[in-house]
Amino acid sequence: MTPPTPTLQAGDTVPDGTFRYIPYTEDLKDTVTQSLDITEDLKGKKVVLFSVPGAFTPTCHVNHLPPYLQHYDDFKAKGVDIIAVVAANDPFVMSGWGRFEGVKDKILCLSDPEAEWSGKIGLALDMSQLHFGIRTARYAMIIDDLVITYIATEPGPGVTVTGAEALLAEL
Amino acid sequence: MAPTVKVGETIPAGTFKYIPYTPELESNAACGVPVSLDITKDWKGKKVVLFSVPGAFTPTCHVNHLPPYLQKYDEFKAKGVDVIGVLASNDPFVMSGWGRFQDVKDKLLCLSDIGAEWSSKLGLSMDTPGGARTARYAIILDDLTIKYIEVEPAPGVSVSGADAVLAKL
Repeated sequence: MTPPTPTLQAGDTVPDGTFRYIPYTEDLKDTVTQSLDITEDLKGKKVVLFSVPGAFTPTCHVNHLPPYLQHYDDFKAKGVDIIAVVAANDPFVMSGWGRFEGVKDKILCLSDPEAEWSGKIGLALDMSQLHFGIRTARYAMIIDDLVITYIATEPGPGVTVTGAEALLAEL
Repeated sequence: MAPTVKVGETIPAGTFKYIPYTPELESNAACGVPVSLDITKDWKGKKVVLFSVPGAFTPTCHVNHLPPYLQKYDEFKAKGVDVIGVLASNDPFVMSGWGRFQDVKDKLLCLSDIGAEWSSKLGLSMDTPGGARTARYAIILDDLTIKYIEVEPAPGVSVSGADAVLAKL
C-alpha cells in the first residue's frame, strides 16, 4: 500500500475540525466525551500530533506510542504544550487504549471518526477490504499556533519520520 | 428489537476474527495476530455462552456487563459450558486490548463481529453515527442449536447478564 501524500505542507494552516475524546481523570467514569475544536483549542499552542491506523494494533501499540510517553519531559523542555495521538477508533476505545498504556494526562487520545479530519489533509487510508473501514494513516505533525511546521507520513511499515525521536529533532 | 431466530433453531453460520490469548500478550510488548473462528466448525458439539455488547470500553459494557461473566467463570464451567465469548463490532485488536484490560486471559474469547455483520443476520444490530454496532444480547448454544436468545429491552443489563444466563443453564 503506497502511503498517502499530505495535501498540506509546512507553512500551511491546519484545517478546522473537531476530535472527540474522554479527558483523563483519576477515577475515569468513561461516560462523558468532549470535543476538541482545533481552531479554538490549539490556537497559540505548540502541538505535537501523531496518528496511528488503530489503537491496540501492532507497531502503534508497541513502537509508536510508548516512545512519545517516555520522552514526555523532553517534549515539555522544548516548549510543547500538547502531545496528542489520533486514530479513527471511537473515543471510548481511545480512552481505554490511553489507560492501558498508562498515559494519564500526558498524551491526549483523540478520536477522528472515519478519519474525517485526517482525510481533509489527504491522510486517510481506506482499509475496508480488511473490514477495518476508513483509518488514519501513520503521520505526525508539529503545529505552532495553528501553522504546520513539520508534517510527515511513514513511507513504509515501521516508525521513522513520525516517531518521537524524529519529532524531537525538529523542535 | 426482536431477533430473527429463536430457541430451537440452528445458529446462522459466520466467522469472527479474534486474537487468541497467549501469555506473551501480558507484557504488552506484542499485539498478537488475528485468526478466524468459524461458528459451524468450531462450536459444533459444544455448549457456548455468547454475549454481545455495543462497544468495547463503553459504559455499562465495561463496568456492568463483562466483569460478572469473568467473576462467575467457575459457575459457568460447573454447568458444562465449554466456551464463553463476548462479541462487539470493534476490530479484533481492540477486542484483544479490551480483554487484556479486563484481565480475562483465556477465560473469555473476545470476538470481533466487524461491521456487526453476523449480528445483523440475527436482526441484532443497530445503526449508530459511528456505523453498525451489535445490540446488547446473550445466546446459549448447545451443539449449534439456540437454547436461549434475549436482547436487552432497555439500557442496563438484565436478560443478557451473567446471572440471567446462568439461571438458564
